[in-house]
Amino acid sequence: MRRTLCSAAGLLLGSMTVLAADTIVFGAAISITGKTAKEGEYTRDGYQFAVDKINELGGIKVGGKTYRVELKYYDDETKPERTAQLIEKLINEDKVNLILGPYGSSPTGTAAPIVERYKIPMVEANGSAEAIFSKGYKYTFMILSPAKNYLRGVIDTILAKDPSVKTVAILGENEAFSKEVAGGAADFAKEKGLDVVYYELYPTNAQDVSALLTAIKGKNPHIILGSGHLQDSLLIVKQAKDLGVSPRAMGFSVGPSSPEFRANLGKAADYVFGATQWTEVLKYNGEDAWKTPKAFGDAFRSKHPNYKIVPYQVAESAVAVIAYQKAIEKAGTIEPTKVRDSLAALDIMTFYGRIKFDSRGVNVYKPMAAEQYQPDGNKYTVWPFDVAEKPALYPMPPWDKR
Amino acid sequence: MSGAELGQIAVNATLLSGILALVALGFSLVWGIMNIVNLSHGAFIVIGAYLTYWMHELWNVDPFLSVPVSMAVLFGLGYFLQRSLINQIIRAPLLATFLLTFGLEILIVNLLNFFFKADTRSVMTPYSGTGFTIGAVRVPYIRLGALGVSTVLVLLLGAFLTRSRLGRAIRGTGMDIDAARLTGVKAPTIYALTFAIGASLAGAAGSLLSMVVPFDPNLGGGYTERAFVICVLGGLGNVVNVLIGAAVYSVVEVFVGSRLPALSQAVTFGILVILLVVRPQGIAGKSFN
Amino acid sequence: MRAVRWILLAAVFAALLVLPRFVTSYKLLTYTTVLCLAIMAQGWNFIGGYTGYAAFGNVAFFGIGAYTTGLLMLSKWQLSFFPALAAGALLAALVATAVGLPVLRLKGHYFAIATLGVAEALREIAGAWDSVTQGATGIDLPVRSDSAFFYYTALGFVVAGIALTAYLVKSKLGYGWVAIREDQDAARMLGINTTIFKVAAFALSAVFAAIAGGIIAYQNIHVAPNDFFKVEYTLQMIIACVIGGSGSVWGPVLGAAVYQLLSTYVWSHFLELHPTVLGAIIIFFVVFLPRGLMELLRRLAAVAKGGRFGSDVFLANIRASRLD
Repeated sequence: MRRTLCSAAGLLLGSMTVLAADTIVFGAAISITGKTAKEGEYTRDGYQFAVDKINELGGIKVGGKTYRVELKYYDDETKPERTAQLIEKLINEDKVNLILGPYGSSPTGTAAPIVERYKIPMVEANGSAEAIFSKGYKYTFMILSPAKNYLRGVIDTILAKDPSVKTVAILGENEAFSKEVAGGAADFAKEKGLDVVYYELYPTNAQDVSALLTAIKGKNPHIILGSGHLQDSLLIVKQAKDLGVSPRAMGFSVGPSSPEFRANLGKAADYVFGATQWTEVLKYNGEDAWKTPKAFGDAFRSKHPNYKIVPYQVAESAVAVIAYQKAIEKAGTIEPTKVRDSLAALDIMTFYGRIKFDSRGVNVYKPMAAEQYQPDGNKYTVWPFDVAEKPALYPMPPWDKR
Repeated sequence: MSGAELGQIAVNATLLSGILALVALGFSLVWGIMNIVNLSHGAFIVIGAYLTYWMHELWNVDPFLSVPVSMAVLFGLGYFLQRSLINQIIRAPLLATFLLTFGLEILIVNLLNFFFKADTRSVMTPYSGTGFTIGAVRVPYIRLGALGVSTVLVLLLGAFLTRSRLGRAIRGTGMDIDAARLTGVKAPTIYALTFAIGASLAGAAGSLLSMVVPFDPNLGGGYTERAFVICVLGGLGNVVNVLIGAAVYSVVEVFVGSRLPALSQAVTFGILVILLVVRPQGIAGKSFN
Repeated sequence: MRAVRWILLAAVFAALLVLPRFVTSYKLLTYTTVLCLAIMAQGWNFIGGYTGYAAFGNVAFFGIGAYTTGLLMLSKWQLSFFPALAAGALLAALVATAVGLPVLRLKGHYFAIATLGVAEALREIAGAWDSVTQGATGIDLPVRSDSAFFYYTALGFVVAGIALTAYLVKSKLGYGWVAIREDQDAARMLGINTTIFKVAAFALSAVFAAIAGGIIAYQNIHVAPNDFFKVEYTLQMIIACVIGGSGSVWGPVLGAAVYQLLSTYVWSHFLELHPTVLGAIIIFFVVFLPRGLMELLRRLAAVAKGGRFGSDVFLANIRASRLD
């Protein structure tokens, strides 16, 4: 009797340790509810999609062993201090192996020092504020192009269509990422000889920007650029329409790339430009499982038929997991500090673009792109010009003439 | 600043003051009559917004037509809450009702979050965004309509409070509850009715707001704050005071919002604190304790 | 009886001292947070509990403490933690005095909302004052890994707070506060300089909040306006006092512990409905036990001496406060 019990216990313990040892768990705190709930969903779906694909293809092979991968995540409710708390929980209590970033620069900013404290790497795909990387942290890596580049493509597209454009108004959310986007856009505009006639940051929870738009209307700028998140771009477009503010062109950093943009605005979305980290028509050919943007898009859609277009947050989140995979395979171990070093030395081409980090951990090697909603109901990539699906439409007809 | 911008600011302020007057009126009624600062006022506004949204989504009810429905629902809810909950501690020190309504607000907002998620909603109708233009100034139809509805409700409330028996009973109870009871007035019922009316006005405001701004369950907090500032600005006591407060506040908000958006709350509260210290009874009100 | 109480206290204290050796770093962080909540609640107790002025904006001082501590540690003088913390507390006290002088003349609702306004205004200023606070981007304090440091620091301040409260309650200041709460005009006529007493209470509450702010800032590393000036912190300190019993020495600490226990339990079991449950708890206490658990304990003791259980223990408040 005792021998049976002992061997049964031994078997159980043995199998448990085998199970535990053969799974790499990625931990993440993502905004599934709250202001950036939609973007958080895209992030989670992206992570899960890549995790599932890796497992489908047999897992990650390291040092003679094969590991399954798993995603463990919690909802941080778009509250950055909650993110930090949850990351602590994931590392200390759930004992995850590696960390994947949250959605948004503010939560990433609270998470970065935490992972630094525990020396566990974090590959983040949704927080592009460079401020996070100015503190000398060694354990955080950013997949995406930095914030200040977001609106450059939009400005370039408009200038190519109409070199006589002179004035630009910039409206930004007073938040880590959007501030940098707005600042970067202003600097780039000035570089190109434009006049920034209006530049204001509004509070994060603003529900009414009609006062700002009224001031902008008074200045009559050629271009209006908005830097915020999905909700902000919806608000600005709606209230601009309400107040009859009709610039020659309008562009946003975040928002247009999401299917919610058209769903919420209907025809009001026409002619609006949006910055994007990635679209399906770009011509990348990578060393990952999907290789091209189009293949990735098709594969994702077959698993998630409700996504007609694939937002860039999905793609960049998925590639974060792939970056980890490549780094782990190159390192030959899952030990966090070694994985960290391997990430620092990574240089791969993927369906998302080139993934290589500079000494701060920022991916300065991947360019942005720009899209536009057009009256035929679709959204097209309009920049860089060599991969543009269709030429941009310009100028934007005034609201009351549509 | 150009004449056009000034003109647009004036129009924006006027249109905004309509909705804000409605928001503040319900709040001031409850405060003036029952001495309760209802921190869950904002939550009632959000409920009204969701009611209109769902009626529009599910049954295509025009948002303007949904106003009476949302008023009726919130009337019932307000009556129930006052009678069953708030009435239990209504004679306790101020902090008690303050905290109670605060707890209520957290509860209601979270329940809304739970059932409807934090997604931003807005009510879009075929006539959203349309308006007419006078010179360089634009007047959106929906905001104008909201101003119209608010005006009607404000006039109705004013008439009710001054001319009807029930209205006079409410005002009497607010002035001197013991004297009122001596004349046969049932104080708990009056209180419940007052709170219910306040809630229904909040519901109406919410319905109108759902057309004007994109909202989520957290919409209400900012409006409760504004209601408070308006009541302090205008003074409690009667409907006209609230209207004055709303008008002044709207001008300040639109003006500060266009010049210093990052500090709009700081400026608003700065004005509030100065006002409270210098003239707590407000621009038009009588001294109030 | 009293000896038993002291022995129990000593036992609890000893347990708290050796706690770090038995729990994970993460659990220790949550305990430090509870201790900091207790510190804030103890501070609020002076102005809200003893003096009867319900301040709704004490998170303003929490934030001032956090930013001052952080900025001084990051400045060219590279101050170490405790001097920076002291500076934060001092600044908070000064701001409280400056704000308190005009605002403490207001009563009831007006005072509450005015203090709330001050907190909101400071949040915006922290977000807009890029050159000093880095605005919305926030600042990062030096990284420190030993959670036990934060725990013991917080524990030390909680104990100091208890000692200070116990001392002040029996002093002229304490009696003056209660006199102001019960009948301010009478207090004035008795020669109490109500302004000085009120400002002292307010400044003390600011010092406590600032200390808590500095500790949490160092623990969390990243300090941003929306996180450190959020109204939830004010609420937590007030709820802790309500649950534990404001106007008593042990109430705030007890309340903080119970609140955190409830909050953690609710968070792990009803994650999405967490605020609903908290709202219900607030309502429950405000309606049935406004004087908190300390009062409950007192009433239970009275029942033991021969009162009726249900209506005396739970319904006493309703009977006194409802309108029929």
